[in-house]
Amino acid sequence: MPSYRQRSRPLTIITVSGVALIILFYLLSTSRSSSEVRVRPPPAAGGAKSISHYPMNGLTSSWQPLARQEHVLILTPITRFYEEYWNNLINLNYPHELIDLGFILPRGREANQAIQRLDEAVNALQTGPKKNRFASVSILRQDFDSPFSQSEKDRHALSSQKERRAAMARARNSLYTTTINAGISWILWLDADIVETPASLIQDMASHNKAIIVANCYQRYVDHGESKIRPYDFNTWQDSEAAAKMAQNMGDDEVIFEGYAEMATHRTLLASMRGAGKDINEEVPVDGVGATALLVKAEVHRDGAMFPSFPFFHLLESEGFAKMAKRLGYQAYGLPNYLVYHYNE
Amino acid sequence: MSFIMNGNPFPHPSQPFIISPHRFQNRSKSQILRRIPARRVILLACSLAALLFFFFPTISSLASASLSSSIFRDDPLITTVHHYDLAHSQGTGRGWEREERVLMCIPLRDAAPHLPLFFSHLRNLTYPHSLIDMAFLVSDSKDETLLLLNTLLERTQADKDPYMRFGRIEIFEKDFGQVVGQGFSDRHGFDAQGPRRKLMARARNWLLSASLRPEHSWVYWRDVDVEIAPSTIIEDLMRHNKDVIVPNIWRPLPDWLGGEQPYDLNSWQESETALQLAQTLDEDSVIVEGYPEFATWRPHLAYLRDPYGDPDFEMEIDGVGGVSILAKARVFRSGAHFPAFSFERHAETEGFGKMCKRMGLSVVGLPHYVIWHMYEPSVDDMRYMGEMIQARLRKEKEQQEKAKETKDDNDRMAEAAAIAKAEMEAVKKKALSSTSGESPLQEAGKESDSLEMYDNPEYFLDSVKAAEVRAAKQVAREIEQARRDAEKKAKEEQEATKNGRKFSSESKKEKKVIIAKDA
Repeated sequence: MPSYRQRSRPLTIITVSGVALIILFYLLSTSRSSSEVRVRPPPAAGGAKSISHYPMNGLTSSWQPLARQEHVLILTPITRFYEEYWNNLINLNYPHELIDLGFILPRGREANQAIQRLDEAVNALQTGPKKNRFASVSILRQDFDSPFSQSEKDRHALSSQKERRAAMARARNSLYTTTINAGISWILWLDADIVETPASLIQDMASHNKAIIVANCYQRYVDHGESKIRPYDFNTWQDSEAAAKMAQNMGDDEVIFEGYAEMATHRTLLASMRGAGKDINEEVPVDGVGATALLVKAEVHRDGAMFPSFPFFHLLESEGFAKMAKRLGYQAYGLPNYLVYHYNE
Repeated sequence: MSFIMNGNPFPHPSQPFIISPHRFQNRSKSQILRRIPARRVILLACSLAALLFFFFPTISSLASASLSSSIFRDDPLITTVHHYDLAHSQGTGRGWEREERVLMCIPLRDAAPHLPLFFSHLRNLTYPHSLIDMAFLVSDSKDETLLLLNTLLERTQADKDPYMRFGRIEIFEKDFGQVVGQGFSDRHGFDAQGPRRKLMARARNWLLSASLRPEHSWVYWRDVDVEIAPSTIIEDLMRHNKDVIVPNIWRPLPDWLGGEQPYDLNSWQESETALQLAQTLDEDSVIVEGYPEFATWRPHLAYLRDPYGDPDFEMEIDGVGGVSILAKARVFRSGAHFPAFSFERHAETEGFGKMCKRMGLSVVGLPHYVIWHMYEPSVDDMRYMGEMIQARLRKEKEQQEKAKETKDDNDRMAEAAAIAKAEMEAVKKKALSSTSGESPLQEAGKESDSLEMYDNPEYFLDSVKAAEVRAAKQVAREIEQARRDAEKKAKEEQEATKNGRKFSSESKKEKKVIIAKDA
């Protein structure tokens, strides 16, 4: 056994000296880092370049956004990336140099796939021909976990609506508060599953010169080999007495959702107001809006209208947004005959 | 293992028994390693790896980056695309060590007189300046706020000490149209409160939405008319690691008004009385705190101050005041804002507090951590101060009159003015001696149109003394005016009497002429 001990000695020496070195280095490095490296981040560049002026008095959001070269911010919360959505976005014929894009993604594996595909698409576009490039693209990842799984059935179950819509509201708020800058005139909320819109969507909707305006969201489907359309988004509606009465008997934290048999609100839905062949420019005042394709004057958001993640007059998210905007003095309008199409799973 | 390799002690029966492996063999070198237990090898490898990390810390960051966020990074070649993980800007209690960016939001309206003092506060902030971005909103200003702001900012950003320079600075200009004037009495009248608060809420929301970026972890709201605040205020509030936190706001007063007073009554805890009151009001009305019209019986943060209390003592509150608010950026990102409508019967900062509570966020006030707002004398206060000074002057004049009763009226007037001037100088000197005197002394009272006037040390005085100086000046000006009026009057009288004499002598002459003609 003594021979064994002798043989292992060089190793012990190496280990001990290694540990000693680490301790020594640690002692030296902490005293250095605490005094300068950690406590003091590098100084700012400063200079006149760091000061910028934004005169916002002349900022307009008019019925002729093109003539006035008004900037538009397109915002999209995105969980799944659809090629059709992207192609439709690129095909919008409003000048791309006047458009900023903002995306927000949840955390999680499914979203990581979406990020990768979105990144590829964005990078390809922004390095491609100049006239196709957008002014800027911000891709955000939200700082909280979304409680919902995204299967179609789960998504629409009444029990999970409150949580799901609240998380969606937070995501939307995170997106717009950090991406609106002083030059933006209009904000277009365009959902990631809107796969078909007219190419002149922005000009068409802005020409109505309303603070908040929403298109009618339908879905294409195939029935017995025949292509048909059906209403999809039920969040745009005119209020009803039944709903008002329902709200009166509710506790502060209860929410009314649209489109569920458990809650018969008898509201007039935008989706049901469509008449085939009718005037595409017809507009109707609405009390709740869906955010699938929603054009908003920037001042509405700047004044403070946001997507409530808590029951605001028993409404959540985009429906609550319309209510809050109304309290700030902005009326929302819907376009019953102007259609955009939702992805069909 | 090892003896199988040394030879074959259990040979197969079919093979002949071989004895040769049992003779002495030299150990090969590799056998030393084999003798070392596996544990030791692992230990050695670990310590080597640890050593590597210690000497080359960049290795670790490379490793982690490639593991976690390879898909969420900016391509340096594409300048128009940016990725932000909001989880990196959530805000923690030790932001200055983790290099968390703070957005400082400062709403301004006709604020030129307060700016020099405000910039001295900024300079003193101990939070690393490069981590502070600033956003100013200049609205409805008729004075030279914008011009002065720009001058002071350029000076700051060109500071010789690079650590004094701040990060990105943005100035927004937007007029909202003014419902009420900015005078103290205008601003604090009861009827003006509802619309005024809603307007200020809009201004705050415009400022925030235009300036908040994904990389901001904290937002610090600060009014410019703060007179005294600790230079460590950002860290002091941040340490509590709350979603929204405010200090206590008091203001100094002249001695004859009691010396000091709670200023910001908008930080309060909800009370039953107030909740009942809220239910009786219609949906669009706004409860404002601190007016006898609304007796809410709420515990106010301001009144709970103990000068010797623990400055770190926390109190849960429901409404917050806007003089100095530190909030995590994620509060605003999740949608909380300053309601420009009646939210649960409240607007602006009080509504903000209510909304945060509704969203389940922590809203906290520090009753014993005090910052001091400026004293702005009301019209009544100014008049009273003027009267006090005049009374003192009168007294002195009477004493002097007793000494020399033979003085002429005009002389006495001149003397009064001289005394007033001396009085003013004395007050000013006294006030100046109490400040640090860091700015160059210039002739006070010379009011030119240029920005030079803001180098006037008067703006660095403490506000109570500044008010006294102003009152003294006013008195001096009145006396001077009175003297001039008196002089003018005297001159006119002299002229009049001269003319009168002339006239009478002329008429005599005429009479004489007439008499002569007759003769």
